[in-house]
Amino acid sequence: MHISEGILPAPFCLAGYAITSLTTWHCLKQINRYQPSPDNIPKASLLTAVFFVASSIQIPIPPASVHLVLNGLLGVILGYYAFPAILIGLMLQAIMVGHGGLTTLGINAIIMGIPALIAHQIFHLRPWIYHRFHIEIKTSILAFFAGAIALGLSTFIFYILIITNLPTNFNLDIEKNMIYGLIIAHFPLMILEGIFTAMVVLFLQRVKPELLPY
Amino acid sequence: MRFYLDEYAHLNSILHRWHPAYKIIGLIILIFAFASVRNLVLIPLILIITGILYLIAKLPVSFLINRLQYPSLIILGIVGLLPFFSGTNIIWQYSIISIKLEGLQALLLITTRFIAIITITLILFGTTPFFTIIKTFRNWGLSPIIGDMILLTYRYLFTIFDQLAILEKSAQLRGFNFRKFTRKNLEVYATLIGNLLIRSYEQSHRIYQAMQLRGYGQVRIINNIINNSESDSDNDKIDSQLIHKYFNLDSILLMIMILISLLIVTLEIIL
Repeated sequence: MHISEGILPAPFCLAGYAITSLTTWHCLKQINRYQPSPDNIPKASLLTAVFFVASSIQIPIPPASVHLVLNGLLGVILGYYAFPAILIGLMLQAIMVGHGGLTTLGINAIIMGIPALIAHQIFHLRPWIYHRFHIEIKTSILAFFAGAIALGLSTFIFYILIITNLPTNFNLDIEKNMIYGLIIAHFPLMILEGIFTAMVVLFLQRVKPELLPY
Repeated sequence: MRFYLDEYAHLNSILHRWHPAYKIIGLIILIFAFASVRNLVLIPLILIITGILYLIAKLPVSFLINRLQYPSLIILGIVGLLPFFSGTNIIWQYSIISIKLEGLQALLLITTRFIAIITITLILFGTTPFFTIIKTFRNWGLSPIIGDMILLTYRYLFTIFDQLAILEKSAQLRGFNFRKFTRKNLEVYATLIGNLLIRSYEQSHRIYQAMQLRGYGQVRIINNIINNSESDSDNDKIDSQLIHKYFNLDSILLMIMILISLLIVTLEIIL
């Protein structure tokens, strides 16, 4: 889900930085309002490092293997810290591993970070769901949707940017069909990511519920 | 550690001695100038500029090759098929496979921009200690939350990798087969990551307590006291000091980078 250097034109990269700066400013404002404790900074940093590491784990799906994106899980656990955490994770990935890029940091942060914030808002519904449902059922269903929708949105934004910016000389219909086809091809991955997110969140709910918000 | 950034930050070249603030601005302007290139005629120019800067930085070639390997595979995966699908002028054909000129040109352009930008990024981060770069951004007004998060994440990344290796080894010793894809295996992966999250969460409490004992969160008050007690002595500077302040090696190098970037953008517009 990372766009590498050199693919997108400079105006796109600058626009990405502008939107990322605004989103980061908004997230920092929300953090100062709702999660102001300085204790949260080491917590968010270590969890960022864990996500960086966890996204390097390869899950074997024959005949290949996939890296999980885990931006939905990040959104569920970190809340508004998720966007700065993703920005930092992407920056370190670009510098240390070469995955992604510095010119496309803004764009990549939008691709991964905004769906993470949406996942956070989905999980935020947990206290509002009918109280008769068992907490584990509510948690796993919301976590599944948070993980699946986050990956779906990331995939959607990624492929739109790639297909519309690569010089393929395809007409609009072919481009639209390619985007739909690629997103449909990612449905199994969305379901896998949703199931995985639900499993991790359920594990945390049972073992360390204070790690989860709401 | 293969991710370690500061391996060659101790070397002594003109780029190592360039003030970090000027270096970051100069090289980032150059990176965006490279990103704006769309004309094939400028490709040799940006490659020559990149090559010269890398030679001046005295960084080993193995460092560049090592860091370019993995991202090159990714970029080729994205744009490698362009010559076969993009364009109308066929320059080579065998049966149903044909290579088109426009696709080949696009491949060349994207790959060159990619190599040039990654190399300049490596020059920036290879010649400056990571901590210095973050300190520079903090001086420019980077949020203390983000600054602290970057440094803590970088510091603990290596610890987390080691912890993951230990957890994976433990799972393997208990008969876990990493290559099977079953529901049970997925549960084990989920538990692995969950355990990593919980250990890190608990570790973060201890880290925060250790940081508090060492004055974390109090330094800004001390800095404010120090800054308010300094006297303003700008009026005492003499002319030679002013010239030295504004026309030293750092600013000259920055002006050179800006001129090169302007040249590239101007040529891009003219051509």
